[in-house]
Amino acid sequence: MSNKVTIHRLSTGVPGLDAILGGGLPEFSFNLITGPPGSGKTTLAHQIMFALATREKPALFFTMLGEPPLKMLRYQQQFSFFDLDKINDSIRFVNLSDDVATGNLDQVQMHITQEVETFSPALVFVDSFRSVIRDTLQQQEGAISLQLFIQQLGVLLSGWQATTFLIGEYLSENGSHPILTVADGLLSLEQNVYRNSMVRKIQILKMRGQATRPGLHAFRINKEGIEVFPAANARGGIGAEQLSSVAPHGQKRLAMGVPRLDEMLGGGLPSGYSLLVAGPSGSGKTILATAFLAEGVHRGEPGVIVAFEQTPSQSWVHTLYSMISAGQIGLINSRSPDLSIDEIVQHLTSLIQKMKATRVVIDSLSGFELAIAPTFREDFRESLFRMVAVLSGLGVTVLMTSELEDRYIDLRFSPYGSAFLTDAIIVQRYIEVESCLQRVMAVVKVRASVHSTEIRRFEITEDGIIIGDPVTDYEGILGGQPTRTKASRTEDGGNRDEQEGTQ
Amino acid sequence: MENTATTITTNSESHRESIRSTLILRTVEVSDASAVAEATVSTWLQMSSLLTPVIGARGVDVIFRRSLYLTATSFPWLVVIWDQGSNAALLASLKLCLVGHSADEAIEAGYTLLVTFTELLSTLIGESLSRSILSPVWALQASVSEQETQS
Repeated sequence: MSNKVTIHRLSTGVPGLDAILGGGLPEFSFNLITGPPGSGKTTLAHQIMFALATREKPALFFTMLGEPPLKMLRYQQQFSFFDLDKINDSIRFVNLSDDVATGNLDQVQMHITQEVETFSPALVFVDSFRSVIRDTLQQQEGAISLQLFIQQLGVLLSGWQATTFLIGEYLSENGSHPILTVADGLLSLEQNVYRNSMVRKIQILKMRGQATRPGLHAFRINKEGIEVFPAANARGGIGAEQLSSVAPHGQKRLAMGVPRLDEMLGGGLPSGYSLLVAGPSGSGKTILATAFLAEGVHRGEPGVIVAFEQTPSQSWVHTLYSMISAGQIGLINSRSPDLSIDEIVQHLTSLIQKMKATRVVIDSLSGFELAIAPTFREDFRESLFRMVAVLSGLGVTVLMTSELEDRYIDLRFSPYGSAFLTDAIIVQRYIEVESCLQRVMAVVKVRASVHSTEIRRFEITEDGIIIGDPVTDYEGILGGQPTRTKASRTEDGGNRDEQEGTQ
Repeated sequence: MENTATTITTNSESHRESIRSTLILRTVEVSDASAVAEATVSTWLQMSSLLTPVIGARGVDVIFRRSLYLTATSFPWLVVIWDQGSNAALLASLKLCLVGHSADEAIEAGYTLLVTFTELLSTLIGESLSRSILSPVWALQASVSEQETQS
């Protein structure tokens, strides 16, 4: 047995926050919550407080000159986590504005000490600390210096075995503030306005003694409070653990629900693979995706669809809707202006786990890119890469559709370079034959598997996709202007001669 | 919807009643206006001491002054000198006003002031929270009435 101290980690009650903190908040730690006005500091503090405070482990919330307590209580009550029954028993609000107004930090400290001794809190919050700093800067005559005050407060509160939070704005004002070195944890909130969308992000700049998840993580404030969407991390908890429990790729094959397509894929789509279906508008990508999900439902394999496409009312769309309303297929259809890929991944992951889904459809990547907030678009490829990795880690089979501009000068599968991310690719195209548009489909890639290389015609009927025979009578199809093959010309010519001869 | 509204009205009426009975119980001699004034001020001081730690002295002050102003619309004789900034002077002035009238009038004015204050607070921080903070004031009333029943 190790004699090292074991740090108990508190669960913050903020969805997603424990994950980025590296497993929760260390007990008795001295933390700072920083950020500009309106970034959600007080809300975060309140949410943590209401989640953690109990009669046995009560919380003290000191308010200073910052937000008037009347207003804070009025507005924070709007969140569902604000539990009135906890007030006074488990949570006490103490207003220090009168002490702060004197500009004497000794007095502020005495008041805090007195309250802490009386109430013996397990959690202490001080909101907002910036006002203290500003006041002492104005009144240099304070009996003790601010740094000493903070240090003494830190020692006092850890001595009283209280997990402490100081809430303030200081980070943006002065990065090298003495408080920052005293703190064990540093949670920085920010809000970015880019184009016409506003996105909130949280970053754990410091958390002593544990590995946090680095980087900026999007979060949202709604009626339930704050929800953090940890940036998808394939190597971390989600991916690595899951991978070992998932059967190696390619052992089982999934039926696509389109006759003859399984045969083209070399016996179906290997389980756990990600498939990209690329094609121009109207080529039948969504129909293929719907067939894939319907086949899953038919075989008792639940699915989830992330839909960003506006779909017309057709019979196969009804099939999709009826599967969704019957609860056989989960639907994610988010349209909020501050959407991030990580938020979708979080919802998707929980829905997959809830429904025990094995098939996932993302329709389409083009719609997805338009749906997310402009600020995240720059990182679209990276986020997509992480998303595919997370989904692959979950062991699900993914079908993504991608709008493809129908160009005939080059052969492209996706505008995001996402082709390399996927294990399999099906490409759909239009070709012009005798002044008519026809659809063709080909399997371009199935990783580590034999597959058909034929280009086949297909039709979309009320019953779905009907794949025809290989296009053997034309060549140059991918150039968009196919010409008849020599063999077919000869054959046809022979037929014509025969027909003419009989007449 | 109608039911909810009725419940709220009934609730606030019963709460008003408890404020009235607290005030009467605290008044040593009901027929004496100065006793009423004393009870009003002491009840108010207890409320203030419970609220100040939570919303700060300034917050309490603002609501109290507003309640005085609103109460004075129904009791025009309640002319309290409030521009001095000192709470002690304000309370002394309130006492003087109440003492100068009949006990019944004083009770009515004191009661209206306390009710206005609690209701104003409720509109700001919600009924449940304000009641939970101020419950010791009315709890005292309950324990006093219990004692009276026992004796």
